[in-house]
Amino acid sequence: MSATFEAAVRRERGVAIIDLRGEVNALAGPRLEAAYADAMSEAAESLLLNFSEVDYINSTGIALIVGLLAKARATNRPVLACGLSEHYEEIFTITRLSDFMSIFQDEASARSGTTAAPAG
Amino acid sequence: MEEQQHPSEKKTPRDAANWAGRVDKLHVSGVSPEALNLNVEGRRVLSPLQGFGQMWQKTYRMRLPRSVATPETVISTWKERYAEFWPKGNRFYAPLTGIRPGEVGVINATQGPMRLSTGVLVLYSDDTSFTFMTPEGHPFAGWITFSAHEEGEDVTVAQAQLLLRPGDPIYELGFKMFGSRTEDKMWQHTVASLGAALGSPGDVETEIVCVDRRRQWSQFGAVKHNAIFRTTLGAPMRGIRRLAGPRR
Repeated sequence: MSATFEAAVRRERGVAIIDLRGEVNALAGPRLEAAYADAMSEAAESLLLNFSEVDYINSTGIALIVGLLAKARATNRPVLACGLSEHYEEIFTITRLSDFMSIFQDEASARSGTTAAPAG
Repeated sequence: MEEQQHPSEKKTPRDAANWAGRVDKLHVSGVSPEALNLNVEGRRVLSPLQGFGQMWQKTYRMRLPRSVATPETVISTWKERYAEFWPKGNRFYAPLTGIRPGEVGVINATQGPMRLSTGVLVLYSDDTSFTFMTPEGHPFAGWITFSAHEEGEDVTVAQAQLLLRPGDPIYELGFKMFGSRTEDKMWQHTVASLGAALGSPGDVETEIVCVDRRRQWSQFGAVKHNAIFRTTLGAPMRGIRRLAGPRR
């Protein structure tokens, strides 16, 4: 299992954005948790997960994202996702994550919110 | 001339074969005829976000000497002998083709007067992990991920991790009263049995985290699919049908 995973947080007009990079697997847990805590440490209306630099997600990684999604929902913050490859968009549908998060093609359409059509 | 890579080619999935395809409704095929196959056929699978009760992450793990088993050995043994490791009173009928993405297994369990027939979809499978996803009516909505990884130079960690919400208000009540402890005992037994089968009996470490304390009242209606009720209350009728059935 590779340890190549990074998560960086930035904020854009009330949206906390977590840029994910590398492989989302069991080893990504601590960094993902830390990034989430950082993202939620300041007021944010919503959380955007940017997967555009992610090249691999396994089932443990999906479970990590579910945990994060559950926490965000508990604080009534919508969670958006962007930059997923076609393959992982399909996986988000199969695992029914897409029932709980809006998926957009890229960051620009995610940030423009309801005016952009979700990719999935 | 340098070839330009199309953006979608950059993301060609190396794990496409590890995931189940899109499954709208479950279909059971290739399990032993002795399995009581109820509450699976035609059911939709659920993610941990879809259940009724509080969301829990439960992890049961065991450390094994690397000399005894590599992560790959742990997972291949677990897949091949999965049903053997379950405690008495619980039966898992794996598909005849084995634990592969998209296959459906059937579960029969008995506890006191209660009977349960349900199943799981194999959502994901690779050399060091596999994941089951539960259908409507199952005691919980969620995933069970079995995985193994290296720790330091000499240790292999084998673990079962559940991410779940009890499926309906009755399951939530049962989970609070006794179901959670029963679940813990079952998975501790399973992981310990795996360790023993690999020649390294030992202690199972348990870690329980409440991920979301809220209950999802919008899922109240899921009680109509409750597999324990359907299996237990349907048992007398199935007995009568068996007696009256094929004899002429």
